[in-house]
Amino acid sequence: MSDYKDPLLQQETPKAAFQQIFKIWKPHVASLIIGVLFSLIALAFGLTLMSSAGGKIAFAAMGMMVISSVFLKILGAGRLLMRYVERLYTHNVMFKAIADLRVWFFARLSKGAAAGLGFRHSGDVLSRLVSDIETLDGLYLRLLLPFAGSILTFFVLICVIGSIHLPLAICIAVLYIIAGFICPLISAFITKRHGQTLLNSVAQLRITVLDFIHGLREIRAFGAEIRVEKLLNDREKNLFQKQYQQAKKIALMSFLSFVFSQIAVLLILAAALNIGFHGIGAAHIVVCLFLTITAFEVVIPLTRAGGLAGQIINAATRVVGVNKGHGYDVPKGSEEASEQTDIQLNSLGFQWNKDRPWVYRNLNLNIAQGERVAIIGPSGVGKSTLAALLLKVITPKEGSITLGGKDLAVLTEESVRKKIAWLSQNTHLFDDTIRQNLLLSYPQATEEELWQALSEAAVADVVKAMPDGLDTWLGEGGIKVSGGQGRRIALARTLLSKAPILLLDEPTTGLDADTEMEFFKILNQISSDRTIILIAHRLTGAEKLDKVWRLSNSCLISEK
Amino acid sequence: MQNNKAQIKLWTKQQTKIGKRAVFPLITLGILSSFVAVGLACCMAQILGMLLVPSLSASISFSPLMLLVSFVILFLLKGLIIYSEDLIAAKVGLQARHRLRKELVGHIMQIGPSILYRQSGGGLASLIVDQVESLDGYFSRWLPASVLWFLAPCIILVCIFFVQPWAALVIGVCGLMVPIAQAIFGIGAAVAARQQFLAMTRLQARFLDRIQGIATIVLAGRAEDEAKKISQSANELRLRTMKVLRVAFLSSASIDCAMIISILLVALMDVQHFTSAGEHGVTIPVVHALFALLIIPDFFAPLRSLALAYQDKAKLTGAAASVVELPEAPQLLENEVLLTSSDPVHIAFDEVSYVWDEQRGNAVDQISFEVQPNSTTLLIGASGAGKSTIISLLLGFIKPTSGKILFNGIDISTIKHHSLSALTAWIGQKPVIFSGTIKENILFAKPDATEAELQQAVQAAAIDQYISALPNGLDTLIGEGGYGLSGGQAQRVAIARAYLKNAPLLFLDEPTAHLDPATEQDIFTSLIELSKNRTVILATHSALGQQLKGNHIQLDHGRIIAQTEVK
Repeated sequence: MSDYKDPLLQQETPKAAFQQIFKIWKPHVASLIIGVLFSLIALAFGLTLMSSAGGKIAFAAMGMMVISSVFLKILGAGRLLMRYVERLYTHNVMFKAIADLRVWFFARLSKGAAAGLGFRHSGDVLSRLVSDIETLDGLYLRLLLPFAGSILTFFVLICVIGSIHLPLAICIAVLYIIAGFICPLISAFITKRHGQTLLNSVAQLRITVLDFIHGLREIRAFGAEIRVEKLLNDREKNLFQKQYQQAKKIALMSFLSFVFSQIAVLLILAAALNIGFHGIGAAHIVVCLFLTITAFEVVIPLTRAGGLAGQIINAATRVVGVNKGHGYDVPKGSEEASEQTDIQLNSLGFQWNKDRPWVYRNLNLNIAQGERVAIIGPSGVGKSTLAALLLKVITPKEGSITLGGKDLAVLTEESVRKKIAWLSQNTHLFDDTIRQNLLLSYPQATEEELWQALSEAAVADVVKAMPDGLDTWLGEGGIKVSGGQGRRIALARTLLSKAPILLLDEPTTGLDADTEMEFFKILNQISSDRTIILIAHRLTGAEKLDKVWRLSNSCLISEK
Repeated sequence: MQNNKAQIKLWTKQQTKIGKRAVFPLITLGILSSFVAVGLACCMAQILGMLLVPSLSASISFSPLMLLVSFVILFLLKGLIIYSEDLIAAKVGLQARHRLRKELVGHIMQIGPSILYRQSGGGLASLIVDQVESLDGYFSRWLPASVLWFLAPCIILVCIFFVQPWAALVIGVCGLMVPIAQAIFGIGAAVAARQQFLAMTRLQARFLDRIQGIATIVLAGRAEDEAKKISQSANELRLRTMKVLRVAFLSSASIDCAMIISILLVALMDVQHFTSAGEHGVTIPVVHALFALLIIPDFFAPLRSLALAYQDKAKLTGAAASVVELPEAPQLLENEVLLTSSDPVHIAFDEVSYVWDEQRGNAVDQISFEVQPNSTTLLIGASGAGKSTIISLLLGFIKPTSGKILFNGIDISTIKHHSLSALTAWIGQKPVIFSGTIKENILFAKPDATEAELQQAVQAAAIDQYISALPNGLDTLIGEGGYGLSGGQAQRVAIARAYLKNAPLLFLDEPTAHLDPATEQDIFTSLIELSKNRTVILATHSALGQQLKGNHIQLDHGRIIAQTEVK
């Protein structure tokens, strides 16, 4: 049907993305380089071992003892040990770097407006981003290290063979460059070019599958089973076609890389028979041959590794570009909010983007300290935008918002959020204990204060009845408690924060009617010196309110 | 739990069995490749032999040029084998994924909408898309490797045995050490992994959890503290992963070790042999010794492939766990009945009960009522009264736990669902708007509708009122989940679908539950228009809905508490 762009998949250009990643990894540069050295030493052992073993037989066959057995044994043991040490060291370094990337990612995400009131972003997309970070370890472990290894091998090959016979060395060098650098590079380009179209095909398939799953009722009701199955089949075929095309191209590159490596061996064999290259000693030929075979073994997997480049580039651009286009500049304030907490909107105007229509203009509203007000309106009218403005997640394009007489623009974000506590259907309960969930809003809270907040939210009895009390594990998304209980625990957390203003953005969405009524009754009993701002698309009648405003056609109409 | 494990085992076994049949060409190629490798090593050994011991030329029956030519032919052949292996593996992977996806989609389609009451849509979608994709390696890499790791080295070993028996013995013993070492370290790694696994998944889940709740964290002003905690968790994750890797790397080092030992032993034993023998005694064994040395990497290559493909194996178990969680598909009835659409439909509920969850009791509790053709019936009650359950029962999404629902006297559970769906139109609380244009979404109800029919439906559902504001009119694209359409606009699309379908039965499940009062009024005006000359069952708890005329059935906790005819 159509192309659909995921808002979270804003991408950075590959160049900028890698620059950013290397910036994050800067503290690890020394260790990363040491890791490369370790891996080169391990490789050098391998190269020497193979050519010496060949050499030993050759010399022995000619009745000479040039290479001692002890030397071979040392090489063998060295190769084994270095390889093990190198793998442990490089993985450890890489995981450290990945941990830093995770923290950076988290910090970056928390700065964007996406973080502020992340509505549209599904857990699925986020989890894919998390696995993208894991993919990035391939950048060092699977691309950079093998590439460094192939460069070392290249020089060893040239030097050793070059010292024996220069024309042969040049021929083999050319073949090595083709098999070890050009073929992998081409396969990297192939995957990079196919990467985007492949991603699109997967996205298309995913959308169709999501439509299929969520639309199961519609499909059954309209008897559309066969049509949908056909559509799914087409989408999959489209993806498979692209995957197969890419596989074909990479396979061709692997084939070429292999053939060129064998041509190198062929040249040496020809030289052995005195064809093409003349006058190379028998033992030297054997050394060259074993060295060449081992060297080309290093590069043949590179072509396939080059195929990872596309995947890694995509991962990098997605990880680094996570908040691109969502980072709304909010002026950095320096002042602390005052004790007094009247809120005023002064001819407020806001639009998300210059080319998008105004959400509202010339909006005026006063909410006095301790007042209970509701702002209602149909979905899409900008109610949640108002919440974001009040929380200083976004900033007005026209007019201003004042809190206790001070413009939000001059206040620090922290002090605004100390005054205004937010609760919505999107308020997340963490996969942690009830205690830890509560402490999030006020880490210094005493046991007494915790229970106080829980009983204010009318959930203390429920928690007391749980076997582990405050230390009960809530499970993912608070799955271990019912919807109503979860929302009340979230309310308790909000109350614990001591913020004088509670901003409740559709706090009962997803709850059934009885639970909703109960929630509002509890809300009505909360001490009256807090300001309560309720944002909803309709009222149930259970709310105790001083004023009700209806937001429609970009203006506020008083209803009560 | 135990039962679950057995099911997982059964499913993976089935998959392996089906998959193994498909990888037969790959195994054949792998064996062929081993023979070619033997040939290549032979050519090289012969040429080197001639070089090292010139007197040998006479005793070897091949001319040097012939050896070179056969070397070229053989390596081209090997290149082609590698190329076809890649292509066939890609094809095998595609076919296996296609088969799996088709099975899953068919299975879910057969279960129908009731699966959504039990499992999250996101999880199902990721099973069908991502988990199936991730199984590619299992079928294209692991399965052939799991056969070839034994077969290919054996073939090579036999070839070495004919040439140089004691070298074959050395290499064979070293090769045997690999599976033994892997078993020992593998068990060690498994134990270490099991110990760390819980902690690792918990840490990973923690990171995901914090990211999903990032808004809550930021608005509580705790982003920096949490970043520090994440840093600690990430470091802990690293330390634990390294613990597992330390053992896991030992197991891959065992292949390296076995290979290096066999190279050293073969080389050193050859050398001893040469030095102890006289000048003339060594002619043939030089070629043999070189052959044995040159073939060693090929001997260990299949073992390496197996180790590399090992990670693909774990993914199948992961997918199996998700697959066995799917509920079983309902059995198809043998004598299903067709309902002819020409007769007016009379509906009767006879002592119908339905239980979603044993603990919560009956959602619908022994309900009986009748619906006359072309009448309107209202199901009225608070949320949880059982209204939606009744609509789902009527649509055949779920089957009564006890009692019968009769359409013209025929039990609904014996009616083919195609013929049932041909008779019914349905509008739910939140219609699913598929990604695509508005036009495609309306035509979903009847893909072969004429332009005139489409226009009529658009007008009747009052879509033309907002269509003029959209950039491309009816051809405006809507994203995932109806992004871009308000709740009221989406509901109008659903109404247009119902118009287009023009079915005699119309089931409405709280069609205005998520709308504001002004929009609700508009929607009801359109719905009343749609209801003319149809049998309508409307579930509602809105005051506006209850003003409609017809048979009003009051529900409470799954029971009928009052029934009145409002005229």
